[in-house]
Amino acid sequence: MTNGIEFTLNGTAVVFEGSATARLLDVLRDTYGLTGVKCGCKEGECGACSILLDGRLVNSCMVAMGRVAGCDVVTIEGYAKTERFKTLDAAYAAVSAAQCGFCIPGMVLASECILAKNPNPTEEEIRDGISGNLCRCTGYNAIVKAIQIAAKEGAGLW
Amino acid sequence: MVNGWNPSTLREALAIRAQYPVIPYAGGTDLMIAEEREGAYLFLNRIPELKRIVREGNILRMGAGCTFTELLEHSETPALLREALALIAAPAIRNEGTIGGNIANGSAKADSALIFFVADASVRLQSIAGERVLPIREFYLGRKKLDLRPDELITEVLLPLRWLDSYDYQKIGARKALAISRVAFAGLMTVENGIILHCATAYGAVSDVIIRRPDLDAMLIGKAVEQAKALKSQYLAAYAEAIAPTQGRVSATYRKTVCLNLLDNFLKKFGV
Repeated sequence: MTNGIEFTLNGTAVVFEGSATARLLDVLRDTYGLTGVKCGCKEGECGACSILLDGRLVNSCMVAMGRVAGCDVVTIEGYAKTERFKTLDAAYAAVSAAQCGFCIPGMVLASECILAKNPNPTEEEIRDGISGNLCRCTGYNAIVKAIQIAAKEGAGLW
Repeated sequence: MVNGWNPSTLREALAIRAQYPVIPYAGGTDLMIAEEREGAYLFLNRIPELKRIVREGNILRMGAGCTFTELLEHSETPALLREALALIAAPAIRNEGTIGGNIANGSAKADSALIFFVADASVRLQSIAGERVLPIREFYLGRKKLDLRPDELITEVLLPLRWLDSYDYQKIGARKALAISRVAFAGLMTVENGIILHCATAYGAVSDVIIRRPDLDAMLIGKAVEQAKALKSQYLAAYAEAIAPTQGRVSATYRKTVCLNLLDNFLKKFGV
């Protein structure tokens, strides 16, 4: 019996011994060193801190540690080991959808959720799916295109 | 758990709520914005009683812990509520934000609460001592002020479905996603055989509390559409007097003009 918060982080069982009110974003970066999770706004406006919580996209800046007890947390570091990531990675590269890259970890996880929900999404569904993830470099057209390519190239993966 | 409680049943949650000065944590999407973390959180996300969605006759009972996404994915969610929920923030926030939290925040900008106001929904409040069911209009006492005792939790929203199918919903925000309502309007009107059987209107994001004036809407209920047309200028004038927007990010004059235009569009949509 532990007083800590047990959860799964990128496939590994972990126990967090700190405060239940701590921000998941801060804990992922500072305690677990997962700096692929970016801090942009700390108020849910930018999506740079997006992670998968039990398979759903959430902003880790708006999640308290007590919320993740018993849950499955996947950050870009964990997701990067999947076949699906490889497809998205290649698709993003193919159309130069990344420039400074700050939004990309969140954007890729948002892409995963779009394709997990519908392997052949419409452009409107893609745009809605990334509507909480802000990009200030390339804009959205290349990213939308990349998700469309991933849907095509990754047929069967999602 | 340090600074937190993680109950798995409602009974357990209510016992903790009664005994300790905890802060209920539903979706966290409003709560976590504060830079300073104070007090202990009562996590409500693993309580099955707060996740239930049950239809009983013409009432849809929705657990306060249902997220916007869960309601969007549920077959019983009526179109009007679905339309409002789909425009809230963005997917990542809809995945965590709950209807109970939206109400508990006590804001007139809460987009789901607007639908509960126009539908004359009620909220169920439970404590170890018992429960109360209050019309949502009575539950809001002012900006950020609710008729909620420190030992109570909002456990359910009771949404009457009877008049919901024939509606008009308009959200005015600065952009398509992640937009906080500058004005939001919901109107219900059912016309049968040329007679207005039901009319209900509500405004969000205009005053300290969502505006819902059944006394004004009563002017049109039971009237033939032609009669209602004759009364229209009187109805609009009465509403113009009732709306006193707070000065916020956008001017009060702008918001009032938009409000009256939306009301006029709503009436026109139903031939009035």
